[in-house]
Amino acid sequence: MKLALLILTLSASTALAATNETAEVLPPCCRPLAAGTNYTDKSVYLLESTWTSDANRRVKLGVLRGRPQVVALFFASCQFTCPLTVSDLQRLEAALPENLRTNTGFLLISFDSERDTPAALKAYRAKRELSNQNWTLLRGEPDDVRELAALLGVIYKKDANGDFAHSNVITVLNADGEIIFQQPGLNLPPDEIVAKLKSISPP
Amino acid sequence: MAGGAKLAHGILFSILNLLSSFLIASTISAAAETPPGMTVVSNGVFHPLFRSLTDAQDVPVKSFLLDIEPVTNGKFLEFVRAHPRWQRSQVKRIFADESYLKTWAGDLELGTNAAVDAPVTFVSWFAAKAFAQGQGKRLPTLAEWELAAAASPTLADGATDAAFQREILRWYSTTKPATQPVVGRGAKNFWGVRDLHGLVWEWVSDFNSATVSGDARGDTGLDRQLFCGAGAIGAKDVQNFPAFMRYGFRSSLKAAYTVHNLGFRCAKDL
Repeated sequence: MKLALLILTLSASTALAATNETAEVLPPCCRPLAAGTNYTDKSVYLLESTWTSDANRRVKLGVLRGRPQVVALFFASCQFTCPLTVSDLQRLEAALPENLRTNTGFLLISFDSERDTPAALKAYRAKRELSNQNWTLLRGEPDDVRELAALLGVIYKKDANGDFAHSNVITVLNADGEIIFQQPGLNLPPDEIVAKLKSISPP
Repeated sequence: MAGGAKLAHGILFSILNLLSSFLIASTISAAAETPPGMTVVSNGVFHPLFRSLTDAQDVPVKSFLLDIEPVTNGKFLEFVRAHPRWQRSQVKRIFADESYLKTWAGDLELGTNAAVDAPVTFVSWFAAKAFAQGQGKRLPTLAEWELAAAASPTLADGATDAAFQREILRWYSTTKPATQPVVGRGAKNFWGVRDLHGLVWEWVSDFNSATVSGDARGDTGLDRQLFCGAGAIGAKDVQNFPAFMRYGFRSSLKAAYTVHNLGFRCAKDL
């Protein structure tokens, strides 16, 4: 009984801590809005999986609700197209008008549950100079990555070297987490995504 | 595909070569704690149909438990009764498209088009996954499913069982009936599993791992703008027509899709 209570207390305080830490690391727009409730039928935030940020915070994707997110899957040690995808997103960020730039999040989620530890993601953030204000870097368990990729229509496979062959897709989520646009490919001009983001931003 | 005509022409003559990419070294472990309705599929090696230069040629598959039969409408009904959010009117659209459980008469009613013992179809990958989790199980991986499905009634590696290969091809070329026949009519394979071929297609956990473009021409067919690959991906065994079919079917799927002849069964770690 005592043990059970202790566990309860412990998990309650862990949960609390997680919430506080989440609030601390996330930009003002995205602080938890009753995460886990009242998502629309088409919201990616209905996923119940828990992720870890490069600041070692445990979060659900729902904490990103509140502003549009531009999402891509990647892995930090990728030598092929991922650096280009991140460059595409950075070019997009730079191309956004000021009011949109402060109201758009960029979410990078790693395929590489094994090697992309929070520390590895943190190093990647520093290397690519991704701002804390706009960019969220997450890792998750393999099953959760598989589920998110399935939801976003991203195809991938781990190879014998531990690298990942994967499709290149940039997904735009609206503030409610609904997929409003997907752009397959690489090195594409940001115009179309900029237009989409403009179309969903309040006047 | 370069050898397309040759392939088509040669199918019936190359039955002996079908599924030859599955080399199985196995021992039958004691099924001491096999849960009811499941059976052990023992250690084997799966040779992927397509692989990149850096992919392993042999994907070892550890022994695992697999459902003997596909999940039925009846079992799925029990599941949605216990988990209302997976009922037809409750399911979130992002997890299952509009035709989810379409053949059922209602949320909790099968009706005349969905026999209680027929395999449940019109289920999305998310729904299948949730069902499996509800049973303390999981979906089989592609490698596990293919390993189990390579077995003929008498051999763990059915590649050399001509009658078995002919039967698979026959199913692939037969028009599917409007309503699903019941599960359990198919012959038990070497592992004691039924209906892997001949009834419905089945979801696997990593269905979205087919990183090749649609036309399967190998290296030259890959669109590098769309795929980040670590090298060429080419077909391992162009004779394996059923494997091509499954591969093509899986890569056409999205996780929320529900399809009339697509069901699933569950697996579990040993």
